[in-house]
Amino acid sequence: MELVLEQLQGIPTIYLIQLVFWLLAGVISFIFSLGNARIWTSISMGFFLILVSQFYLLNKLFYTPTVATFTYITGTVAIMLITHGFLEYYVFCRTFEITGRKQTVYLSTMLLLLLSWVFLSINPEPSMFTVRNVKMVENAIWVFLTLMNLEIIRKIYFSIRDSAIAKAFICFGVVFVLIFLWKGSELYLQVFQWDRLWGNIAFQLDLDELEFDHAIKLDDSEDYWRRISFARQVYDYAGMLAAMAVSGTFAFLYRLLK
Amino acid sequence: MFQLPKGNPLFENLAVTKLKLTDVVTKLANGSFSGYASFTFPGATGILVFEAGKLITTFYKTTQGQPLSDFEAMTALAEQMANSGTGTMDVYRLSKDLTMCVNSLLQGEVLYRSQELVLIDIKNLLERIKNERMNGCLRIYTDEKSAMIFYKEGNPLGFFHDGSQDIDSSPGESHQLAQDPKAKLDLYTSVSADELMAHDLLDVINVAKIWDAAVARKQAELERMNRELAEKDRMLSLNLLNDLENQIRNVYVEYVGTVGRGIIDKELTTAGGNTCLQDPERSEQFVAALEKAAKLLINVKKITEMKEKINALLTQARA
Repeated sequence: MELVLEQLQGIPTIYLIQLVFWLLAGVISFIFSLGNARIWTSISMGFFLILVSQFYLLNKLFYTPTVATFTYITGTVAIMLITHGFLEYYVFCRTFEITGRKQTVYLSTMLLLLLSWVFLSINPEPSMFTVRNVKMVENAIWVFLTLMNLEIIRKIYFSIRDSAIAKAFICFGVVFVLIFLWKGSELYLQVFQWDRLWGNIAFQLDLDELEFDHAIKLDDSEDYWRRISFARQVYDYAGMLAAMAVSGTFAFLYRLLK
Repeated sequence: MFQLPKGNPLFENLAVTKLKLTDVVTKLANGSFSGYASFTFPGATGILVFEAGKLITTFYKTTQGQPLSDFEAMTALAEQMANSGTGTMDVYRLSKDLTMCVNSLLQGEVLYRSQELVLIDIKNLLERIKNERMNGCLRIYTDEKSAMIFYKEGNPLGFFHDGSQDIDSSPGESHQLAQDPKAKLDLYTSVSADELMAHDLLDVINVAKIWDAAVARKQAELERMNRELAEKDRMLSLNLLNDLENQIRNVYVEYVGTVGRGIIDKELTTAGGNTCLQDPERSEQFVAALEKAAKLLINVKKITEMKEKINALLTQARA
């Protein structure tokens, strides 16, 4: 227990706050998914999976490369589910068709995660590079689909703007702007190898000692450090605000639809 | 229409609506009937004169119209019988001679019509009737009364005046009328009874076909009216359904917003149009579909309120 507490103390406070809000968002969205229309199930399950994907913040407690990779894959599944849900909502606004069953969404999600785990199990244990690659792929997908979701949400809003629920879609818009900043800033850091994972890799492989040409160099100009620092702050705060916004949005939705 | 002598009544006041013209004609013809059958309708009269089972005269006249005879009269009578909801038939047996006289009244040659009696030398006229051995009828009348003298080969057969049932042998009323300065005179002549017997209208008029055509026309008219009525009912029902649909649409849009219009249209199309609103089971499915879509847009409390309003509208419409 003492060890756990010691490890927890090692996690930056902002990540702990972020985790608390993602926990809140995950719980609200999961409960919301149970009692509402089928289309909401995809969206709320997607947001719930962000919570699972955020467990990487607790890496210090139970880090293995496979678990870390799995959390990133879960993050990818999360945004795919969310996008699928909003796409279905948009289709509903245009065609007024509602198809499918909640159970199918739950089972498909579980099956997808299971297959991901099987995929990781039957392959060699991910290296530091693999873990970082999967995280980068996750962020790239998030950035691309977030932009797409913003456009879908805009269209949904204009279709139902005089409905009571329209305001909730404005909230979702805010959520996706924050998520875009959160995931986009991390992707930016990763693309230029300014991210923490690359730092770990460089440290562990002693790339500086080997005079291997990689991203962060001590002699980089002040300009680069400023933008790296800014991007990292955006990542930290946008992530935390996104978690708060998701919690708030689902609480608001819950009030609107219950 | 002047009155005819009634002779021996066989049937009186038979309801025409229950009769078929073909049956009447066949029965009288087969029974070697002499006399006439009179059909009285509101605004029209038809007369069929028989002599020994032969149809010798057909006559039809409406209050305003010209008198019709032969085929036209039979057709008009058939139409009237088929179409009229009221009307009576009287059948009177007459002697052969009187039948001839009645025929002269209905279709005889008109020698004088509406002649003022004061302008005519009546003695001379009576002598002419006698000398020319005329068959026919001399009718003397004022605005209030009329009397008829029937002749056979120039000799008076009898006298008939309004209000009497049968032929009198004494002139009585006709003499009094003849002295009225306002009196007028008609003189109708006819061929002899034997000549009348020479032809039978039933040989040239196909009564069955005329009757069938009249009934068919009546049937067609009835069907047309029924169709019109059904169409009116359908339109009325359609209008009521459209009203109900609009009321439901308004309630739905009031709760879920303008997107509700599209949802209503889609669900109505799925349910096979707004006729589903008449059927309790289908309308229940329709409301359930609306509820399912509304779950994406509004809260449970509002959905319950909305459903109550829609169900009230449906119940009210069915009542």
